[in-house]
Amino acid sequence: MRADTTERVTSKFLRGRGRHRLSDEELAFLDRTVERVRDLPARHTLVRTGDRVRTSTLLLDGFMCRYMDDHAGYRQLVAIHVPGDFVDLHAFPMERLDHDIATLSPARIAFWTHETLEEIVETQPHVTRMLWFSTLLDASIHREWIFRMGRLDAEGRIAHFMCELKVRLEMVGLVEQDRFLLPLKQADVAEACGLTGVHVNRVLRSLRERDLMTFRAGQVTIVNWKQLSALGQFDPAYLRGGL
Amino acid sequence: MAKLEPETVAGKAIADSGVVLLDGPGGVAVAMTPDAARETGRQLIDAAEVADRQPLDPAPEPA
Repeated sequence: MRADTTERVTSKFLRGRGRHRLSDEELAFLDRTVERVRDLPARHTLVRTGDRVRTSTLLLDGFMCRYMDDHAGYRQLVAIHVPGDFVDLHAFPMERLDHDIATLSPARIAFWTHETLEEIVETQPHVTRMLWFSTLLDASIHREWIFRMGRLDAEGRIAHFMCELKVRLEMVGLVEQDRFLLPLKQADVAEACGLTGVHVNRVLRSLRERDLMTFRAGQVTIVNWKQLSALGQFDPAYLRGGL
Repeated sequence: MAKLEPETVAGKAIADSGVVLLDGPGGVAVAMTPDAARETGRQLIDAAEVADRQPLDPAPEPA
């Protein structure tokens, strides 16, 4: 059954990175074909590794993550999602995922069934191409995360991480005067950057004392973008897919 | 350009909250207990003394 909603659930989808290539009709079509909108609490696991997945999820509000646990149960975040991101579109052709998906904060999500996506593939080639493009933007973020973990030291990793989130949230209108809400714990930052909590704490203190950024009570303030982005070797081009 | 040469600049180790943090060289970023840091340090020094006496191998050719 198709959801009957008057809200534009796709209002943040591909904002700042190709949304202008979708026509109003195509966006309305995506809205009309939403199966359901659902609210989730924080720290809720939506999909577990190996689960058979029959829907794809667009994050409307809040933060989500994808992660993998090692054999000892220690978690490595492999992606963080912000509003406007499809979280598991790649599950459509893959059917099963090799990672878990969970909320980091209270979140609102919209679902499309895979049957609906199958219809979209058969009848809407341009929409299909843009959905594919969004998964490729995901892949470019993954590549940057590999670079970050492999080549940057602790300060560089956190600087890069914060710069990336700032740009991604800016694209969907969630940054105001270089400030944005980031309802993550330091442990989440540690798990995203391959560091321990002690290391994250020290680096954040150092970045604050050097007037580069602050992260307090779930809010990030970028004080010196030029120096912070240089420290993180951050270039936002990968977030726009060459557009 | 692939980084085929070993690092020539030492990493930085500092103590914070009862833990040893090692930053660098390169992308190294690790936290260790004091005992683990001591043992790592010992192993590093021992390996450096052995490496000092070994002939240098030329860097592998790019594939």
